[in-house]
Amino acid sequence: MADNLPSEFDVAVIGTGLPESIIAAACSRSGQRVLHVDSRSYYGGNWASFSFSGLLSWIKEKQEKTEVSEESEDWRKLILETEEAISLSKKDTTIQHVEDVCYISQDSAEDIEEAGALSKLPDLGGSDTNETAQQSGKGCLALDKQLGTKGCEMSPETIASNDRECTPEGEDTEVISERESSYDATSGHSTLETEKTENASTAEVSNLEPKKITYSQIVKEGRRFNIDLVSKVLYSQGLLIDLLIKSNVSRYAEFKNATRILVFREGKVEQVPCSRADVFNSKQLTMIEKRMLMKFLTFCLEYEQHPDEYQDYKDCTFSKYLKSQKLTPNLQHFILHSIAMVSESDSSTTDGLKATKKFLHCLGRYGNTPFLFPLYGQGEISQCFCRMCAVFGGTYCLRHSIQCLVVDKESGRCKAIIDHFGQRISANYFVVEDSYLSEETCTNVCYRQISRAVLITDQSVLKTQSDQQISVLTVPPVEPGQPVVCVIELCSSTMTCMKGTYLVHLTCSSTKTAKEDLEPVIQKLFILNDEKETESENGGGLEKPRVLWAVYFNMRDSAGIDRNSYDSLPPNVYICSGPDCALGNDYAVKQAETIFQEMFPKEEFCPPPPNPEDIVYDGDGTQPEDPGFSISPEPKAEPLPEESSNIENKVTEEHNE
Amino acid sequence: MMAIRELKVCLLGDTGVGKSSIVCRFVQDHFDHNISPTIGASFMTKTVPCGNELHKFLIWDTAGQERFHSLAPMYYRGSAAAVIVYDITKQDSFHTLKKWVKELKEHGPENIVMAIAGNKCDLSDIREVPMKDAKEYAETIGAIVVETSAKNAVNIEELFQGISRQIPPLDSHENGNNGAIKLGKQTTQMNRRCC
Ligand SMILES: Cc1cc2nc3c(=O)[nH]c(=O)nc-3n(C[C@H](O)[C@H](O)[C@@H](O)COP(=O)(O)OP(=O)(O)OC[C@H]3O[C@@H](n4cnc5c(N)ncnc54)[C@H](O)[C@@H]3O)c2cc1C
Ligand SMILES: Nc1nc2c(ncn2[C@@H]2O[C@H](COP(=O)(O)OP(=O)(O)OP(=O)(O)O)[C@@H](O)[C@H]2O)c(=O)[nH]1
Ligand SMILES: [Mg+2]
Repeated sequence: MADNLPSEFDVAVIGTGLPESIIAAACSRSGQRVLHVDSRSYYGGNWASFSFSGLLSWIKEKQEKTEVSEESEDWRKLILETEEAISLSKKDTTIQHVEDVCYISQDSAEDIEEAGALSKLPDLGGSDTNETAQQSGKGCLALDKQLGTKGCEMSPETIASNDRECTPEGEDTEVISERESSYDATSGHSTLETEKTENASTAEVSNLEPKKITYSQIVKEGRRFNIDLVSKVLYSQGLLIDLLIKSNVSRYAEFKNATRILVFREGKVEQVPCSRADVFNSKQLTMIEKRMLMKFLTFCLEYEQHPDEYQDYKDCTFSKYLKSQKLTPNLQHFILHSIAMVSESDSSTTDGLKATKKFLHCLGRYGNTPFLFPLYGQGEISQCFCRMCAVFGGTYCLRHSIQCLVVDKESGRCKAIIDHFGQRISANYFVVEDSYLSEETCTNVCYRQISRAVLITDQSVLKTQSDQQISVLTVPPVEPGQPVVCVIELCSSTMTCMKGTYLVHLTCSSTKTAKEDLEPVIQKLFILNDEKETESENGGGLEKPRVLWAVYFNMRDSAGIDRNSYDSLPPNVYICSGPDCALGNDYAVKQAETIFQEMFPKEEFCPPPPNPEDIVYDGDGTQPEDPGFSISPEPKAEPLPEESSNIENKVTEEHNE
Repeated sequence: MMAIRELKVCLLGDTGVGKSSIVCRFVQDHFDHNISPTIGASFMTKTVPCGNELHKFLIWDTAGQERFHSLAPMYYRGSAAAVIVYDITKQDSFHTLKKWVKELKEHGPENIVMAIAGNKCDLSDIREVPMKDAKEYAETIGAIVVETSAKNAVNIEELFQGISRQIPPLDSHENGNNGAIKLGKQTTQMNRRCC
């Protein structure tokens, strides 16, 4: 590590989850010197995504009951008499009840390694200094409260043997080529094929027996997986999309539109007609139903203008209101669970109408569902904001734990942090993600939990001509009081799973452990065991997809915590929460904006970067007063006529002062 | 009308080896002795002809995230090529080159074209890394290798031409982005129908 970390910044941000990353980008963008650290070796905290082997390492780490070694308290010496220290948490306690299950034979999987890959978890940077080894040791977070974890039926050791050390280059290439050939053999076509060709070729393939995916294939192709710890989508008219576009961070990412909204009703998965065209073409709806639905949704688009229509139901639940309307049970179910996606038992009529309107507004912007999904997973989004921050001069350190906040006794303000090297780093503002706070700070905080399951399956829950579907499915509670389960099924073209598999995310707010909450739903939608029962003549397309591998875990939901419930926080320390349970990302964006505005009330939040064309790359960092008058350097290559209007030979050089 | 292909190229290498200087020389034919350690340069573009195609390089610089070994995996996503730079006057920078290659294999796309640039060849009187070492290493990983000087504009064009030649020709049925959506102002083509 050539450089030494500077010891003075304007803003120190601890944690690289979505809200922290947005704040870091916003601060850096407005000219603040930002230090952004994470104690883990990867970006995103609980918003991260992992390759298959990376996830196995994560699981292992969360299951290990490592006691935190008595850390030296040497840093206490660095605290002056006029100061006080607030120590930060030494271990992450936000993940519990981690349990992974493999439903396919692992016989041959023992010596298989993820092709070309090293685990993400330890030592991502590939630095081999002792320094780093120590760091990751200290930075590693362990978990003690593993109540109810029955242990895993599959031992990650068998395949995670490549975790710590890197395979020599020669071996890498070998495995890669091996993977490629097996890959081609199973999929029959290359990744680069367009969706159209995929659709065509899979139409034939889907009539055949579904290809058997083996565990060793999953391991070998582990890098094809980008498995998110949180499962979310972006509302195409939501705050996150708006922010991405406004700040130009969007240029770092690509998206796919969710292709369909599904509903689970009377034991069957059905597609919800979303667009007008869908409604008209729907075979599930009668002519009368189509008219009813069109009429009702058209009303929802402008419900505010017709308060008389729902005035009497304002204080009732939305589901009661729907019953009062001229809607068949079929339609009520669609609207409640798949369009409004609100709770049957406790969402008000206004909430429901508002949600329905939002859904309809998002339709058609990018496709015929309201949702976008980022290629390579949700974990990319926080990294995109981090890049924006770095581009404007932010300093990045992963594997960097912070031992404590240093508070000035007299002013009560935080003035510095002390890192794991004992370096004291001063700043004016501190942004800390909830999971970094110690138990003492959080004694009075009452957290909710999120139940999560991630499955790798072999078929879609609703098979169609195309095997490249991205589906959002809501499963209403079986019994009242149980949570609504949100299911997102991703296909391989989202770059989150290998060809021939689907990645299925299930999320609900916890009532029990993740497994207890979600397994009943999984059993309804999938086949869990390796038995051959499905080979009985169920005929075309009726058999359920098979779960190949699954993991369950509970994640702390620290959203919506009142700042005052944390113990004695200095006024210039701001707390970001981890992921919430909602389908979208609005909460994180709102929180980031609020915190930024509190710190810098006069600054604009993530304004568009200066137009690249207007900036001269002149190395000394000076910028003309009015960038509009400067002329960007002449392109060297002959510009194409039709491109001259484009930003060509552009230099997105941003000044550093 | 020649087809334009956008090729993302990412830069890797220790701090101070001349990554930003190489891009600056390539894109703007400009060199600055006092270039600040990379703060800025989100990405730059330059279009060059290659056979009957035009290659539009979108060149991503590290934005300094490599300084403390904190490059985000998203940095590598979808890269067609990577330029891995070392400084011929610094043995250390050649040593760490191998780590960057390893990291690239871990996070980068498969089939990425790798090009090794031994920069600052104008300073060959204080050279620490023999060209032979670089050649041998490049051969083992199947990478292009060239010694460059961003200062004197030596082999910079050639470096990118070399990359261009290694990029496999466009498949006739390949449309490149696989139906992915790029957000931005231009994505408002879906006109809303009025009722
Ligand atoms: C039952 C129902 C009634 C609705 N009533 C109204 C209403 O009265 N007023 C209102 O403003 N909104 C209404 N909406 C919402 C409306 O559907 C969405 O705002 C949006 O879908 C409008 O786009 P559209 O009608 O052009 O596309 P739709 O006919 O809904 O088609 C949806 C999809 O078709 C494709 N598509 C459509 N046009 C294009 C195009 N030009 N190029 C490429 N692809 C295209 C896209 O994938 C698009 O998302 C209603 C929605 C539903 C489900
Ligand atoms: N003599 C000589 N100096 C060079 C050459 N290329 C770059 N330099 C100098 O090397 C220093 C570092 O160059 P940069 O382009 O900033 O290097 P970098 O790899 O982008 O560094 P970071 O952005 O800090 O990671 C500058 O002082 C350049 O002037 C070269 O070809 N010859
Ligand atoms: Mg640079």
